[in-house]
Amino acid sequence: MSNRNPLDYTINKPITGSFNPFLYVVKDSILFFSLSLILSFGLFMLYSASGQSLNMVFRQLTYIFGGLILMMVIAHLRPSSYKNLLMHSYWLGILLLVYVLIFPAKGYETSRWIDFGFFSFQPSEIIRLILPLSLVAYLCRTEKKPQLSDWLQTSVASFICAYLVYKQPDLGTAIIVLTSGLIPIYLAGLPTRIIMSYLGLATIVSPFIWSSLRDYQKQRVLTFLDPDVDPLGTGWNIAQSQTAIGSGGIYGKGYLEGTQSQLDFIPESHSDFIFSVIGEEFGLLGITLLFIVYGIVIWRIFKIGFSSETAFERLACCSLGFIFLLFILINVLMVIGIIPVVGVPLPLISQGGTSIVVHLMAFGVILSTKKSRL
Amino acid sequence: MKVVQDLKRDEREIESLKGRSKVVFVFIIFLILAGIFKIIQLTVLDQNEYITESDKNRIINLPLFPSRGLIQLEDGTIVAENIVHQGIFIRRNIIEASNDQLEVLYNKILPDRSKINLTTLDPSLEKVWLANDLNEIELSKYELYKNSLPDIKLETSLRRFLPHKNLFSHVVGHLGRITREDEIYFTSEKYPLDSLIGKVGIERVYEKPLRGLPGKSQVEVDVFGNKIRQLKRDLPMRPFNITLTLDLELQSLARKELANRRGAVIALDPNTGYVKALVSSPDYNPNILNGSEQGQSFDNVFENQAPFFNRAISGAYPPASTIKPFIGLLGLEEGVVTPKTIIEDKGFFQIKEDGRKYRGWKEEGHGKVNLNKAIVESSDVYFYELSSQLTIDRISNFLSQFGFGSITKIDLFNETKSILPTRNWKLGNIGESWFVGDTVNIGIGQGYITSTPLQLAVALSAIVNKGKIYKPQLVINSGPRVYTPEVLMEVQIAEDKYWQVIEDAMISVISSWNGTAHNLYKANGIKIAGKTGTAQIKSLTDQDLTVREEYEGVRENIKNRDHALFASYGPIPNPNLVVVVIIENGESGSAVAAPIAQQLIEEYQLNIHNNE
Repeated sequence: MSNRNPLDYTINKPITGSFNPFLYVVKDSILFFSLSLILSFGLFMLYSASGQSLNMVFRQLTYIFGGLILMMVIAHLRPSSYKNLLMHSYWLGILLLVYVLIFPAKGYETSRWIDFGFFSFQPSEIIRLILPLSLVAYLCRTEKKPQLSDWLQTSVASFICAYLVYKQPDLGTAIIVLTSGLIPIYLAGLPTRIIMSYLGLATIVSPFIWSSLRDYQKQRVLTFLDPDVDPLGTGWNIAQSQTAIGSGGIYGKGYLEGTQSQLDFIPESHSDFIFSVIGEEFGLLGITLLFIVYGIVIWRIFKIGFSSETAFERLACCSLGFIFLLFILINVLMVIGIIPVVGVPLPLISQGGTSIVVHLMAFGVILSTKKSRL
Repeated sequence: MKVVQDLKRDEREIESLKGRSKVVFVFIIFLILAGIFKIIQLTVLDQNEYITESDKNRIINLPLFPSRGLIQLEDGTIVAENIVHQGIFIRRNIIEASNDQLEVLYNKILPDRSKINLTTLDPSLEKVWLANDLNEIELSKYELYKNSLPDIKLETSLRRFLPHKNLFSHVVGHLGRITREDEIYFTSEKYPLDSLIGKVGIERVYEKPLRGLPGKSQVEVDVFGNKIRQLKRDLPMRPFNITLTLDLELQSLARKELANRRGAVIALDPNTGYVKALVSSPDYNPNILNGSEQGQSFDNVFENQAPFFNRAISGAYPPASTIKPFIGLLGLEEGVVTPKTIIEDKGFFQIKEDGRKYRGWKEEGHGKVNLNKAIVESSDVYFYELSSQLTIDRISNFLSQFGFGSITKIDLFNETKSILPTRNWKLGNIGESWFVGDTVNIGIGQGYITSTPLQLAVALSAIVNKGKIYKPQLVINSGPRVYTPEVLMEVQIAEDKYWQVIEDAMISVISSWNGTAHNLYKANGIKIAGKTGTAQIKSLTDQDLTVREEYEGVRENIKNRDHALFASYGPIPNPNLVVVVIIENGESGSAVAAPIAQQLIEEYQLNIHNNE
C-alpha cells in the first residue's frame, strides 16, 4: 500500500547503475557525514576538556562505535516492525524511573543514577527519548485519529514520567521530560480546547508547585535570576563558563590553550559544560561552525521526516528533531547563563555513554524512516 | 479510491504537522535568538572584560625576595649572614587530621627527634615546624616517604644567622614576623603578611637597604592554586650589604668583661662618632629568634634581667659624679668659679634658706677644694655649692648643649632621651615647683637627672674635641651609600683654656695619687682621662640614712647597691676612644667599671697599631 504515486520516477528508477553500497548503509550521507563531524569534533574537545585524558576519549569512542552500530541496525529496520516495541518501552522507562527511586546508586546526593556495577547511567537521560517515541507510537498505533482518551492518556503518561523524575529530585530534567512528552502530543494534533484547559489548569496549580519546591531548587532559580549574588556559590559555575566563552573572543585561544578549561576553572568541563571549552578554545567562529553543522543535522531530520510515508514516521522524526534542537539549546543556554543549570549534556559531544548511545539510537529511528534506494 | 483518500489524509496531516512545527519553532526561535545575542555579547562585546577576568583567575603575582643583605665589619668579619634552612612543616589547621602521617614521620624518618606536643600548640600559628635543620640522612629518608606524607612538606628557606651569636645582639637585633605595629611596612605590598622584618637594631633601622626591592614572578595557577608554570620574572633589586663601625676585638672584650653582670659598655671614636663597641648585658642569641638555631635565646638566670633591653642606648641612669666635669666647665664659663676658687668641704653642704644638709660621700670632707681637686677627689660638697650658685636654668641649658635630655640620633631603634630636668619639667611631671635642693642634687648627677651611657659618651666627646660633637653612628656604608662623620652639635665656650682645665683634672683622676681612679695608674702605660661615678639607688642625703651602718644594711640587697660608672677617654694626647662603662649595682666606679674602660682603650691602641 504505497502512499506514493506509482508513476513517481524516483521510485521507479532502474536499480542498475545507481546502487551505491555506502549510501545503502548510511542511508543519508549528509546526515551521516554531519554526525561523524560532530562526533569526531566532540572527541577532540573531550580530549581537551578532560585534561588531555586519552583514557576518557577511548571510552567515549567505544560508546560512539556501539551507538553507531545500534544506529545502523535500527536504521535498517522497518519502523512498523519496532513500533509496538517502542510503544511498550514506555513501561521500561517507568520501571527504570521507579527502580532508581527505590535503589539509588550509592555515592550520589540525589537518586538519579542506576549502578549496574560495570556501568551506571541516569534513567532520565533514556526517558527523555523513550517517552516521546512511545507516545508517538501510541498515538499512531492505528490509522484512526486519536480520541480524547488518547490525548488524556498520553498527557498523563508524560506527567507521570516527569513526576517520577521530579521526585529524584531533579526539577530541571522533569521539565525537560515533560516538554519532550508534550511536543509529540502537540505535533500529533492536540485539539486547541484541550490545550486551553491544560493552560488553565497550569495557572491554577503553579503557586502550589512553587511552594512544594525544595529550598535548593528555589535557590537555583533565584541564583539564575541574579548570578552575581554569590560568585563562589551556585552562580560560580556560570560565571566561570561565561568567563571562558567571553575570553575566547571571536577566534578563541586555540586548541588546548584555553586557560579556563585547562586549569580546571570550568566545573564539569568534560560533560555538561563542554560547550564553554569549545567557546574558549575556538571562539565565536568555532561556535558558529558547530551550530551550522548542528543546523544541517536538524534540517536533515525534518527533511527526512516530512518526506516519510506514515504518520508515525513523520511524527517520530519531527518530535526527535525538536527534542534534539531543544537539548542543544538547553545545554547552550545553560552554559552561557540564560537558563538555570540543569543536567543536560551537549548532544553527541559531552562525555557520557548513555547520552551518546541513546541519541545515536534515536538517529537510527530517524534514518529508518527513510527509504533505502534499493 | 482508498489510495486517494489516504493521500488526501496524508497531505492534511503533513500540512497540520508543518503548521504545528512552525508554532513550536516560533517558540524555539526566541530561545535561539536569546542564545545568539548572549554569545555575541560574551565573545564580542564584553570580550576584554572576560579576558581580564580569566587572567585574574589564573595569573598570580608572587613577590621574589632577594636574600637579605649581609652585615659585616670593616675588616670583612661577617656579623649577619643568611643560611639555608631545611625544615619540614605541616599546616596548623590540618595537623589533627594528619596523625597517621605524623606517626610515619617520627617513626620512620626522624626516630631520634622528639615528637611535637599537639596539645600545647599555639592555635594562631599557620605552620607548625615538625623538625628543623634536617641532616642528609633525614632528608633522603624524607624523599623516600614523601609520597605517603602529602600534608608534611619540606621547605628550604634562608634564615638570618649571626655567626657570633650573642656578641652583636644589641647592635644588629633580630627579625620577626611583620605585625600591625610595623605600620610603615605593613601596608606596603612589598611585604606580604608573613614577611620577616627587622624588629630592632641595625636590622630594623636599615631594613630598606638590607631588604632590597622584591622582584615579581608571574605564575599561572589552576583552580586549586597549584602552580603550573612561570610566565614572567622580574628580578629583584639586590639589597645592600652594610658595614659596621664596630671593632671585633673591642666588642668581644667588652662583652667578656660584662659577662654575668648587668650593665653596658659603649666605646666610640670622638673624632668621627663611629661606635667601636656597644655591649649591653645580659644579651640574647638572635639566631633563636631568627629561626636559624634551636634552643633558648637566653639563659633562664637572666629571665628577670631584661636581656632584650639595650642598656647602652635605652637605659637611663643617674650620671652621678661623671656629670661633675660638665658642671665644673659651666662654673668656669659663667665665671662663678675660677680654677683657683677654693671651697671648704666639711663633709656636708647646708642650704641657707631651709638649713637642709647635703652630705658628701666622704663623711669627714675633703678640706679646702679647688675645681681640680673637686674633680680628682670627686668632692660632692664643691659641686653642691657650685650648682646652688649656678641655678637649674643655666645648668640644664648648658647640659642640653652636650646632648643631655635629647636623643643622640644613633642609628639604632628605641633610643631614650633620658631626663634633663628644668623647672617646667618638674612642674609638669612631678607637680611641684623647683627647689634649690633639686639643683644641688643635679650638681652631683643625682636627683631627677638621668642619661644613657651613650649620651654620656657623646657628651664626653665634646670635652675631647673642645666642643665639637659627632653624631654617633654604627654604619659606615650601606652598599654605595657612605655615611661620613656628621657633626651633631658644637658647644661654644668663651675661653678655650677652660676645656684644658677640665681635661687636666680628668687626667689627674687617674694619674694623681689622690684621684678616685688612681688604681688604673701605670707609670709607663697609656695616659687616659676619666671620671668615676657611683650612682646611688638609695640616696645618702636621705635624712634617715646618715649613718654608715644603716647604709651597709641597705647594701645587703643587691638591687639597692649603687651603679658603678666610669666615663673616660684616651690616650692623652690625641684621644681616639671615648669609653663609658656602667655596671648596675656594681658599687664602685673605680674598682669595677674603670678597669674595663682602661682595657678597652689599651686594646684599641694595640689594634690600631697592628693594623698600621
